[in-house]
Amino acid sequence: MARFIRSVRDARGLDAVLVWLALGYLGVFSAFPLVYNVVISLQTVDLFSLASFERPFVGLQNYREVLGDPVAGTVLWNTIQFVVLSVVFQLAIGFGLALFFQQDFPGATYLRGLFLAGWIMPALVVGAVWSWILAGDFGVLNYLLRSLGITDGNIFWLSDPNVSLYSVIIANIWLGIPFNMILLSVGLAAIPRDVYEAAELDGAGAWQRFFTITLPLMRAPLGAVVSLGIIFTLQQFDLFAALTQGGPSNASNVAQYWSWQLSFQTYQISYGSVVSVLMIVFVVAVAAVYTRSTRHEQSY
Amino acid sequence: MKLKTCIHAVAGLLASTAIVSAQEVSLDLWTIDDPGEYHYVLAEEFMEKHPDIKINVRTVQFEDMVNDLARAVATGTGPDITYIDNPEVALFASRGLLMDLKPYIDKSEIVNVEDIYPGPLASVTYEGGIYGLPRGANTIALYYNADMYREAGLDPDNPPKTWDELYEAAKALTKPEENVYGIAFSAVATEEGTFQFLPWLQMTGGDYDNVATEGGARALNFWKRLLDERLASPDTLIRGQWDSTGTFNAGSAAMSISGPWELPRMSEEADFEYRAALLPVPEEGATRASALGEGDNVILASTDNPDEAFMFVEFLYAQMPRVWNEFGYLPASDVEVTDPNNAEIYAVFEESMKYARNRGPHPEWPRISQAIQQAIQSTLTGQAEAEAALETAQQKIDGVLGD
Repeated sequence: MARFIRSVRDARGLDAVLVWLALGYLGVFSAFPLVYNVVISLQTVDLFSLASFERPFVGLQNYREVLGDPVAGTVLWNTIQFVVLSVVFQLAIGFGLALFFQQDFPGATYLRGLFLAGWIMPALVVGAVWSWILAGDFGVLNYLLRSLGITDGNIFWLSDPNVSLYSVIIANIWLGIPFNMILLSVGLAAIPRDVYEAAELDGAGAWQRFFTITLPLMRAPLGAVVSLGIIFTLQQFDLFAALTQGGPSNASNVAQYWSWQLSFQTYQISYGSVVSVLMIVFVVAVAAVYTRSTRHEQSY
Repeated sequence: MKLKTCIHAVAGLLASTAIVSAQEVSLDLWTIDDPGEYHYVLAEEFMEKHPDIKINVRTVQFEDMVNDLARAVATGTGPDITYIDNPEVALFASRGLLMDLKPYIDKSEIVNVEDIYPGPLASVTYEGGIYGLPRGANTIALYYNADMYREAGLDPDNPPKTWDELYEAAKALTKPEENVYGIAFSAVATEEGTFQFLPWLQMTGGDYDNVATEGGARALNFWKRLLDERLASPDTLIRGQWDSTGTFNAGSAAMSISGPWELPRMSEEADFEYRAALLPVPEEGATRASALGEGDNVILASTDNPDEAFMFVEFLYAQMPRVWNEFGYLPASDVEVTDPNNAEIYAVFEESMKYARNRGPHPEWPRISQAIQQAIQSTLTGQAEAEAALETAQQKIDGVLGD
């Protein structure tokens, strides 16, 4: 016993305890669910066999069924659009705002803090607010567009199949901007002032300074923000639940929502697992890129 | 005198211990109601009558009921009695999770199977067994704004009886400049969409297992015409019945297809004269049909106290004459309702109940329903022709039925 306590007190034993704690936690709360999910995706599982172990293995049959579903193509294309457009605009606008607040003007830091308000709100609340803004017959946005003479009739943001996906994207961009802005602001603040001053003395204009100093030095934060943005966007579920439920006619359905629908609306839990396994594979790839980008982070 | 009181006291004491020592039975009841509603109120009344039976009521959200119940049953923590939405009874009965009430009903002096309307009875019947008793029923009808009828020069005493008349009325009542649509209904991609569409299909001779019919295409194209000509809001595709009828109450739609659950709110919000009529039929003389909603009280096969559980379910069933006035459901069996609220509208719904048809029953109902929803949505959004959409749905449904 005394030896054990001594080994914990000296650093080596403590290290071992910490490592096992962390590994144990990861094993129980991350690895097990992940592996279990993969197992379910290879079996026939519905709501009632979920708790029993008598579940026939069907190999890749579920994958063939899910990928062969005519909806799969629509969902894949929607997911790509949702992720790419959301991330690009969140990043561009967030970066723009970060640069804007980098200018020293009175109240800049307070105003920047206020921008976080949107990010703090639960996505379901944000969804409810946007559903009033975007409502077809009585929506605020339609009223505004009509009053300004931009449109003649109402646009049915949530029920027009050509528009509904973009409505959710708009709401999601709005939701993600503050997070992007804050992370990038931190990155910007870490760039030493004297680099800019030296460049200015050498006659570099604002654009030159941006492209030769800001962008290269922001490589790591930008990489992190893009990777996190992709991961968060793939996790975005509440907005779909609140705004369109993936409709009409799957026009705004994306992988994460489809997975839920398969599991909990038609109770084809194995099919839902297939979709989430495919998503995990993709997210792991993104996460790998993210960890690489943070490993190369430079210090000044 | 003193001795007498003493004896009384002892006798009283003995009697009270006798009650305590009589095994107190405790039953768990799951419901979608909130305190003050059906199950809570009636559980209290039952406990007053039967002090030896304790009923623990727990509220489960309507959307979570199937998931929670399946999980609880799998882990052996299910309730004794629960409420299930009627298309879901077969899902649980087919897996042997519900108790067959038939032996009890045969002996019961209160429950008489012949009194239960065919729709609700079909919803609790599975392969010859009876797996629940309806707590009530609901169905849909056509609500209309009588004031708007008069304004548009229509006769409110003569509401549309056929689809063509419905179309004409919707057209006459639509006023785009005032943001008023002729009609509101729900084609949303959930069970509600199926609930609203099935009667239209059934009136033309189809049903859930036979959707790719000429009549089905006709019904879908009729809906599409209402949307395409903006006689109904495009948001019909994403709005449930409650929200659709909300637009009717607000005066933004002149007619609405929905059920009796709307009445309490309508009486508060609608500042116009509203009436109800039976769902219009494809042409004069065609078969009528209507949707069947509400759910059933079922007993789980795993209960330890089947006798007491049935006593309670039987007691609930016996309250059928009260459900309209006190809880807002239609009776699911042939009972006398004295002095009904909203008498005229009640009469319409009561007649409509005779045509109310069950969804399914089928153990894989959610998948069948989803195929139908997809056909509705892809047709109404113009992604597919009605015939092709219904053909796709039929293939999926055949796949489920053939399983």
